[in-house]
This record gives sequence, structure tokens and C-alpha cells, in this order.
Amino acid sequence: MTGRSVPPPDSVASAEEAVVFVIDDDESVRQALRNLFRSIGLRVEVFGSAHEFLQHKLPNVPSCLILDIRLPRLSGLDFQAELAKADIHIPIIFMTGHGDIPMTVRAMKAGAVDFLTKPFRDQDMLDAVAAAIERDRARRDEAKVLSELQALFATLTPRERQVMKLVTAGRMNKQIAAEIGIAEITVKIHRGHIMRKMGAKSLPDLVRMAELLGVGPASEGPQT
Amino acid sequence: MYSVLPMMRYPTISSSRLAEQWLLGGMALALAAAAGIWLLLGPAPTAPAYFIAVALLVLSLVASLIMMRLVGSAHRQMEAVLRGRTKAEERAIEALRKSEAQWKEVFEHNPVMYFMVDAAGTVLSVNTFGAAQLGYSVQELLGQSVLKVFPAEERQMAQSNVAVCLENIGRTHTWEICKVRKDGSTLWVRENAKAVRLLDDQPIVLIACEDITERKKAENALRQSEMYLAEAQRLSHTGSFGWRAGSDEIIWSEETFRIFGFDKAPSIKRATVIQRIHPDDRERVLRITGRALSDSKDFEHGYRLLMPDGSVKHVHARAHAVKDTSSGIDFVGAVSDVTARKQAEADLHQAQANLAHVTRVMALGELAASIAHEVNQPLAAVVTNANACQRWLKREPPDLNEVREILQTIIKDGNRAGEVIQRVRALVNKTSDQKVPLDINEVVNDVVSLVQHELLSHRVLLRLELASALPPVLADRIQLQQVVLNLVINAIEAMQPVADRPRELMIRTSRDDAGQIAVAVKDCGVGLAAENADRMFDAFFTTKSSGMGMGLSICRSIVGAHGGRLSASDNAAGPGATFQFTLPLHQEESPS
Repeated sequence: MTGRSVPPPDSVASAEEAVVFVIDDDESVRQALRNLFRSIGLRVEVFGSAHEFLQHKLPNVPSCLILDIRLPRLSGLDFQAELAKADIHIPIIFMTGHGDIPMTVRAMKAGAVDFLTKPFRDQDMLDAVAAAIERDRARRDEAKVLSELQALFATLTPRERQVMKLVTAGRMNKQIAAEIGIAEITVKIHRGHIMRKMGAKSLPDLVRMAELLGVGPASEGPQT
Repeated sequence: MYSVLPMMRYPTISSSRLAEQWLLGGMALALAAAAGIWLLLGPAPTAPAYFIAVALLVLSLVASLIMMRLVGSAHRQMEAVLRGRTKAEERAIEALRKSEAQWKEVFEHNPVMYFMVDAAGTVLSVNTFGAAQLGYSVQELLGQSVLKVFPAEERQMAQSNVAVCLENIGRTHTWEICKVRKDGSTLWVRENAKAVRLLDDQPIVLIACEDITERKKAENALRQSEMYLAEAQRLSHTGSFGWRAGSDEIIWSEETFRIFGFDKAPSIKRATVIQRIHPDDRERVLRITGRALSDSKDFEHGYRLLMPDGSVKHVHARAHAVKDTSSGIDFVGAVSDVTARKQAEADLHQAQANLAHVTRVMALGELAASIAHEVNQPLAAVVTNANACQRWLKREPPDLNEVREILQTIIKDGNRAGEVIQRVRALVNKTSDQKVPLDINEVVNDVVSLVQHELLSHRVLLRLELASALPPVLADRIQLQQVVLNLVINAIEAMQPVADRPRELMIRTSRDDAGQIAVAVKDCGVGLAAENADRMFDAFFTTKSSGMGMGLSICRSIVGAHGGRLSASDNAAGPGATFQFTLPLHQEESPS
């Protein structure tokens, strides 16, 4: 992932007030990482243990977590699992003293964005952080769009939701009218309401929204 | 044997006085006769002449009578003298006879063997005792060659001895020689011999011999005993010595001379001996002997000798003070050459050190991941900080304050990595035994710094209970670190299966009741299996799947070499075991 082209770090910093969290039991490493991120103007907060981190109120900004895989008491991997359980989706970059293949595999499977071996190249770390923050930002954006759609979707009447589902499944107005037992003209009126309420500019736009909302025809065979 | 009797004096009677008396009487008679005749035959009896003649006649007769009487008494006297003299002579002869008989007795039965042989060695005389001692009668030996009483191997010596006597007539010679009895048994004699010339000018040899078989036996026994002793001393490389307190001379046994590399002599000067002592040990030897001298006490010490060829010998001496009645003190002692033993000890020590080194390296191997981590952490920090510096410098304008601060951190972290490497290198190095006074807590902390990560990855909580202000122990830092390291690794491994309770490891230093320093490593692991308790410290005994089984064995020998003791026991309260070792305090001077 580090190989992927990412925006230069400075742009990451300036784009939004992203924050990097560092958890390492070693004071030197913690301070060194803090120095590094500060040198590029990135906001950074360091913690000596997972416990300390959990005490901290997380700001609602794009962020990532840099975690030593071997932590006292609670290991990095266990902590990763715990965060997932608590539905905290912060991207994690793991650090380890020496390449531990099984650990790497587990970490990556559990969704780590990157894995760096100490001592690492600063650019690798910064790239990984940039990518992780970008990913978090994207996730956050997606989450934002979805919640807006959900709010709009909530304004639809039950009949309109029913019609929307069938429309986005690619049925003709006539088919819909026959299927739910209403007049074709009534279907047309519902479609108009749906398009307006959801703010959809076109049918494909509405289809995409339905997909995001999970009301699409995904379970009902291939889309045409 | 030859006896010298006094010469007998024959009595000679002198009759000269008797004859004179007879002559005088006769002359008086003749004068009387002439006067009578002149009276009778005179021409005329003139009155004066007549009277003169008569007077002459009377005078002559009187003189004759007196003479006769005188002669008679002289004769009687003479007879009496002669009679007395004969009696005296008879008594003398009797005495002589007695004396001779006595001397004969002495000669025959004196417990000295007397022989008289001629130049050819033929026995001329022998006393009864002498013959009897050899199992012969006198008759059996007389006229025989004296060589008959000598065993074949001594005959030549006997002959030459006789020859020597004959060459030096009148001089006494002495020798010891072995003789053979009639029954073949032997006896040792000491012979005093002298050649003399008889009246006929023939030389003979007179020999007096004294049986010294018993003395000879005792002498031989003593000589043999001495030989055994000397041989035993040689074999055991132990010599003996005697030293009269304050004297300049020391009496040494042969082996002592050999050990010190001096030629054998009856005694040796103390100053000479001291010169042979290794210069580094000389002062201590003088101090110890000086103290023994002033206290009249036994002493024991070990020191080195510097031999003329430059080689060094190790000796161990111990001496007993023997009080003399004349208020003097004698030191009687033994000195052993322990060079070979010292060498063997040194070799053993070296072998143990090598083994300890191997096990130490193996223990470090087990810790490789931890050690790598310990070095890697500061290294990662250094690299990252350096990168940060570069970025601060690239800024417009560069932020030098940040750079300065980070550089401080870089130095600190770099040093930290260096220290870890130094500690590891010290443990990996083959170090010679260097006992120095050291703080046991420092040793524990050194080890703890190396196993931090090991504790972490095994989720072991470490509790340190280090007593403050402990007096120093005299020990080799690396060896003690090895012991603590081994015990800690063992403890961590023992707690590996523990899942139902916190894995707690405690290291405690303290001063025990006996005033010794004690270090305890306590775990809450599986504890000691009773059946292994006895073998736990044996070499090559292990309950681990990997592992050589040398760890505890080495630990015990290291602790032992420091005069301490390593022991293990199950915890009284709660699960797990405690390994504890004690070390004596560092003292000023330990007796060597």
C-alpha cells in the first residue's frame, strides 16, 4: 500500500486537521514519532499503553493509529480485535521490532493498513500514515453520505419505499402497477415523489443510492 | 687370645757378707795365734813386751769371739730374710696364678669375641665366647682359616682388612663386617684389630669383635624407614622441615630441598629460602611466619616459589609449634608442592569458565529476540529523530531549537543502544575471573534491563524488592549476572503454562540472618517436581524439551566458587518455586 501514490503529507495535514495516535511502551520511540509527525506539521498524540489510549476521547476527525505489536499486558493484535469489537474503525499501522510473519498475517487479515519494521524509513511511515488518513477520510465521507441518504430515505412513505425498491430493481411502471395492484399513473406519481425526496437527478443516481442504502436489488439477481 | 703373664723373678742369695765375716773372724784368730806363738817362743819375757803380747793375745781372742758371734747372728738374720723372701714369692706366684685364671675367665667368657690370626689368616687362638657365638667349639676353629667364619661376599673384605693391619703394625683398625655362623645364619660385628710382632718376629693380628647385629638391624630398620619416608615424601611431593624459632638455620628433608630446588645439605639458611619465595608473596610469608613466631602458634599458608629458571611453583606449608623444655619453640612442619594441583584446579576452572561461557551464550540465544528489541527500540528512535531533524532543517526558516532538542534525545537513545550492546558483549565475552566488590542490586538491574522484553512477551509482571544500602560482595559481575539471568529465564519458563493467575516474578535482595547477602528469584509457575529436586542441579539434567541442562549446574558452581550456596524450594504459600542464592560479604583478607 505504501507504494500507492498518495497526496504529499503536507497536503494531508492542511486538508483537514487529521490526527495521528501513537501507542508504544517505549518512551524514546514515542517521542521520536511525535518529533517526526510534528516536523511535518501533523497533529500527533502519544500513549504508553492501550489503556491510556482508551481513556482518551477521540476527536471526530480523520485519524490513524500507530501501534507497537508487542505491548505490555494487552498485545497490539488483541487491542486491534478489541477496537473492532467496540466498532471503532480507526485504521491501524503496526510496528514491530522484527518481522514476525504470523503476526503480520494476522494483523493484515484483521484490517491493518500497513506494517512497518523498526527501524523504518521516515518516508515509509509518513506514506503509510497519509494513506491511512486518506482511507479514514474516505470512510468518514462514505459514512457521511450514507447517513444523509438514510435521513432522506426515512422521509419516504412505506408505499414509496416499496416502489423505489422495484424501480431500482429495473421494473417497468406497468410491471410495478401489476405487481402491487395499483394504477400505472399512481406509480408514476410515486416515482416523482421519490426522485424529489431523495434528490436523485436520474434513475441511475437513484439506483446508486439504493445500493448504498442496501435496499437495492442486490439479493434479487443480476442487475441489468 | 693371647695373654701376657708377668715374668717370674728367681731369688738369688748373696753370701758375700757371710764370707767377709768368716774372713774377719779368721784374721782375728790368726793374729791371736801369732801373738801366742810370739809369747811362747819369744827370746825373753821382758816385762813390757810380754805384757803387750799377752794383751794382744787376749784382745785377739775377744775379737775372735765377737766376730764369731757377729757372724752367727748375721747368718741367722740372713736365713730369716731368705725364708721370708721365699714365702713372699710363693704368695706372689699364687696371686699370679689366680690372676691368670681370672684373665683366662675374662678372655674366654667376656662377651667379646677374640681372635688371634697369623699373617696367612690361620686362627691361632679364639676365645670360647667367640667360637660359641659362631656356633663352633674352640677346637673347631683353631688352625682353620679365619675366612671360614665369613660369608663368601665378605671374604675379600676380611682379607684386605687383615692386610691393612699387617701393613700398619701397632695401629688399631676398626670396621664392621658380616660373619656367618656354622648353621649358616649371619651376624654383624664391629671389629677392632691390631697387628703385633711376636718374640720370634712373626706378625700376628689380634682381633676383638663385638656383635652389633641388633644395632645393625635397628640401623637398617631406621634406614629403611627413612628411605620409605623419603620415598613417600618424593611421591607425595611433600617435604618436611624443622625450624628452631629465631634461628637462622632450617633443617630440611631431601624432598624439601628438591621442592625448593637446592642441593641437599644438612640445613639451609633462612635468608636463602626467603630469596626463593616469589617476590609478590615474600612479604606475606614473612608476616605469617613472624606472627607464628611471636605467638608461638601453628601456622599454615600457601605461597609461590620463583625458581632460577623462571618457572613458578605453588607450595603449601603447615607447621606445628613444639614447645621445648628449654623455653624454646621448634616449628615442625611439612611443605607440599601443589603446583600440579593448582594447575589442575586452574584447568578445571578454565573448563568451567568455558562451559559457563557456552551456557551464557545459549541463555543469551534464548533472549535474542528480547535483546534485539532492546537495541532496536532506541535505534528506531534515533533514526526517526534524525529524520525529524532533517525535516525541521528543511523548513523555511529551519527550526534550530527543535533540532537541538531532538539531537539531545538522539544522543541519549544512541547511548542507550550502546549500553545494551555492551552488556550483551560482556556476557558473550570470555572473561577471566575478576572478583571485585560490587553492589548486588546493580547486578540484578543489569539483568532486568536485558529481560524486559522477554518479560513483556511472556506477560510476566516483575516485582523488584531490592534492599537498600547492602554492603558489597566480592564477586565476578558477569558470572553473577549469568546466575540471575538463568534464574529469571527459568522462572519465566516455569510460568509459561500459567493462564489462571497473573504471572508474577519477584526478585528480592536482602541480608540474611547470617549476615550474608541473599538473592531470591520467586515465580508462581509450576513449582518443582519432587522427584527432580535432587537432580535439579546436576549437569545435563533438564525437564525442558530444548536445553542442555547445564544452567542450574553452572549457577551452582558459580555461586559455590563465590563461597555461597544456591538452593531451591517450592513456595510455602501459593504456587511456584523460589530459587535463592547467598553470597558472603566482602572481607578484608581471606586466609589463603
